[in-house]
Amino acid sequence: MEVLLFILPVFFALSVLIIPKQGVRAYGIIGSLAVLVVVIACMMQYNNDGTMHLFMQKPWFYGITLSFGYDGISLLMLLLTAVLVPLILVSNFKNELAENRLFTSMVFFMQLGLIGVFISMDGLWFYVFWEITLIPIFLISWWFGAPERKAALTKFFIYTFVGSLAMLAALIGIKVNAPTFFIEDLKAVVFTGKTACWLALGFFLAFAIKIPVFPFHTWQPDTYTKSPMAGTMLLSGIMLKMALYGMIRWMLPLFPEAIHCLQYPVIILATIGVVYAAIIAVKQKDIKRVFAFASMSHVGLIAAAIMTCNFDALSGSMVQILNHGLVAVGLFLAVEIIERRTGTRNLDELGGFAKQAPKFAFWFAALAFASVSVPLTSGFIGEFLMLKGLVGFDMVVGIVAGTTLILGAVYTFRAYQLSMYGPVTRDHFADLHWSELIVLALIIIAVVIFGVYPAAITDFVNPSIKVVLETLSTPSGL
Amino acid sequence: MDALLIVFAGGLISLFAAFAKKPFLVVGSAMAGLLGGIIVMINQLQTGKAFFDFLKYEGLLFDELALIYSLAICVLALLIIGIGYERFKENPVHTGEYIGLLMFSTVGAMIMTAYTDMFMFFLGLEILSIPIYVMAGSNKSDARSSEASLKYFLTGSFASGIFLFGLAWVYGATGTFKLLEIQAKIQEMESLSPILMIGVLLIMASFIFKIGAAPFHFWSPDVYDGAPHAVTGFMASVVKISAFYAFLKMFAICFGMGELYTFWKDALVVMIIITLFVGNLSALRQVKFKRLLAYSSITHVGYTLLVFVSGSMNAFTDLWFYMFAYGFSIVGIIAVGLAVNDQEDRIEALRGLGKRNPFLAIVGIVSLLSLAGIPPTSGFFGKYIVFSNAWASASWLVIIALINSAISIYYYLKVIGTIVSPAEHEQEKIKLSPLTVIVLIIALVGMLGFSFVISWL
Repeated sequence: MEVLLFILPVFFALSVLIIPKQGVRAYGIIGSLAVLVVVIACMMQYNNDGTMHLFMQKPWFYGITLSFGYDGISLLMLLLTAVLVPLILVSNFKNELAENRLFTSMVFFMQLGLIGVFISMDGLWFYVFWEITLIPIFLISWWFGAPERKAALTKFFIYTFVGSLAMLAALIGIKVNAPTFFIEDLKAVVFTGKTACWLALGFFLAFAIKIPVFPFHTWQPDTYTKSPMAGTMLLSGIMLKMALYGMIRWMLPLFPEAIHCLQYPVIILATIGVVYAAIIAVKQKDIKRVFAFASMSHVGLIAAAIMTCNFDALSGSMVQILNHGLVAVGLFLAVEIIERRTGTRNLDELGGFAKQAPKFAFWFAALAFASVSVPLTSGFIGEFLMLKGLVGFDMVVGIVAGTTLILGAVYTFRAYQLSMYGPVTRDHFADLHWSELIVLALIIIAVVIFGVYPAAITDFVNPSIKVVLETLSTPSGL
Repeated sequence: MDALLIVFAGGLISLFAAFAKKPFLVVGSAMAGLLGGIIVMINQLQTGKAFFDFLKYEGLLFDELALIYSLAICVLALLIIGIGYERFKENPVHTGEYIGLLMFSTVGAMIMTAYTDMFMFFLGLEILSIPIYVMAGSNKSDARSSEASLKYFLTGSFASGIFLFGLAWVYGATGTFKLLEIQAKIQEMESLSPILMIGVLLIMASFIFKIGAAPFHFWSPDVYDGAPHAVTGFMASVVKISAFYAFLKMFAICFGMGELYTFWKDALVVMIIITLFVGNLSALRQVKFKRLLAYSSITHVGYTLLVFVSGSMNAFTDLWFYMFAYGFSIVGIIAVGLAVNDQEDRIEALRGLGKRNPFLAIVGIVSLLSLAGIPPTSGFFGKYIVFSNAWASASWLVIIALINSAISIYYYLKVIGTIVSPAEHEQEKIKLSPLTVIVLIIALVGMLGFSFVISWL
């Protein structure tokens, strides 16, 4: 059954190309829901003891194995992917893009790559799927993005490709000492301190560029703003999470020796990024840029929390990964709603929509609260646990990272206030379309449910996190 | 051996079929000859026995490696003839010569994979090269084509001369032409004779010229640019595979031991680094399609040369995989160039290809991704195999190669971007013949599923 995770996206990606134009919308949504059903079935099947459920494992060629499987962490990421893709398609419902066969096909290819990343338990397949995701997102943004997108996208592609090559070099470097690329074989390789640091650095470069961590972030705001809404959602909702997942699954367990030399620099860089991005977000005029930097700030905090290797922080980061994926999609949809109706994203030219579109104002406000992690939303649980871990790691780092809560409130509500309140700027502002309402409502409901009952997530991932941390604490991973 | 004869017979028949002035007959007989050769070789690989056991000649030995390389050569030659067919049809008078020469060149390539002494190698090299000198100039009305032909001929014969010169030195040092005897003689030597070393360097220089690596690469952009598309494709795929294999075979068997290995390896490492950077950096600013291809192929030669450095037992199969996968991408990209058929051969002419023929655009994009080495294309797996085997002995060189991969993505991406961008004004649709479509589907399968096919075998 798990093989359907590969077959369904490929099937829908190819078959959507020959569907009549009127049916593309419905077909895409049906296809993405089918994938969701399979993922849920996998979750039901999983016995949740933290072990790896390998559904396929056989040798391939040149030391590459066909090893695919999942544990709690992978399943959570799969769920995120499977939930967000239909949400993204529905939120595009009113757009003429939704009728485009190529667009829908590319979304499914993207889903294939993401699913592959989350269930590959073979180093090289992880790399292969990691790279596969790059092509559809590039094409989506290239075909359907803003007019002056080309330079930004080329930069994005080259940037991430350079990072990936560093990861490839590191993978080859481990493989030389291991019989196959299977994750357990790779974990069994023991490195001396310096080599481990260099190889871990190769992985880190790939992940840091994707996340993005502070000095490697320059591709991000331009790419986000120049991409079409669906591209931005895919990028910030799921694609960044690939890198966070990669840190938990590959970087930490493969190089437990390197944690000591990487931990401090990475946490400090990530924390700088958290504050830096938040400060920049406060000053932005373009509402999409505000949320682009907000995304960078939030994700930087998750990266820092993961590097503490603290149980609570990791568990919180999983909650926040799910929460951020949902909220980011919602926020970028809100941006798109504003842009589509007014033709601008400039905060100076916006204002007064709360009166004209009360439903939109309500759900946007709810999203803003979720984004700044007020209690009762899952963001609160996530950030609380992560900050707890960071404070436990180093008081100063924890406090500096904690300012994100304040700054987050500043930039989110500034953007909300400037766009929704103030003098009325437009004669007419249509309220939510039902498709938009569904997406926003589902996101808020999910966020609140997980905020009230976070154990739904944590109980699911905690056993797997425990397994990951055990490999770290035993010296040299043996 | 029998495959060689079948391909040769196919070439002869197609040459005579040209009297009928029916391109269909010529191409049909050539393809039949190549297909026959492929079937015979697959059979021999499976059963381990040739159809005609009595056909033997001591200068040629079709062992397993020679067979798989000949197989790759025949498959790629078949595909190149397939995509070139449309163009041959336009000029029925010359189809015969064209196809015949191509077939004979293929025969030369096969000889270069199976040689066991230097004589046969030289024979193979000349049988391979002389038809290409002619074919490069087959666009008689085009001055650039004639220039390409003349340039290739002059530099090529120089390289042959250098090879013979080097061979003379090696003969002087060892007193034999047979590969295995040379190997034995060199092993007996107490210390390396300078005569031998000079010979080895001269032979290496001629090979470096043939495969088009820096610093002997200057002919390749002009020749690639001037030659007709199908010939460019042939040079980039078939010629390169055979020259590379002959290079590796000679140097692994004769000169691959001990002190001598370290002696020429160091020279080669320097050349690899120069090749990679020269190819990549020159490719960055190209605006012409085939020139870009030429520089990209120089870069690929640089990557491929890493198999010489790895010194691993898998070097032969690594090289085979890499070059075969590379050949498929060349077929795909050449087909795109042929179909667009821009007089000035600009990259810009690819603009709007997605609208003009979506299938062709997909083939073009996949070929470029494969050339760039982006998963899941076989170009990536080829690169991975070569790099990972070279890592153990020269990890820093692999890192340089990876940096070059990162540079190269820029110009491939530029072409991909051009393909998927809409054209300024409406262009007519491109129609592909059924034969071309079949060839392109094979190439697409080769680019996307080659590693799966290999792992099942």
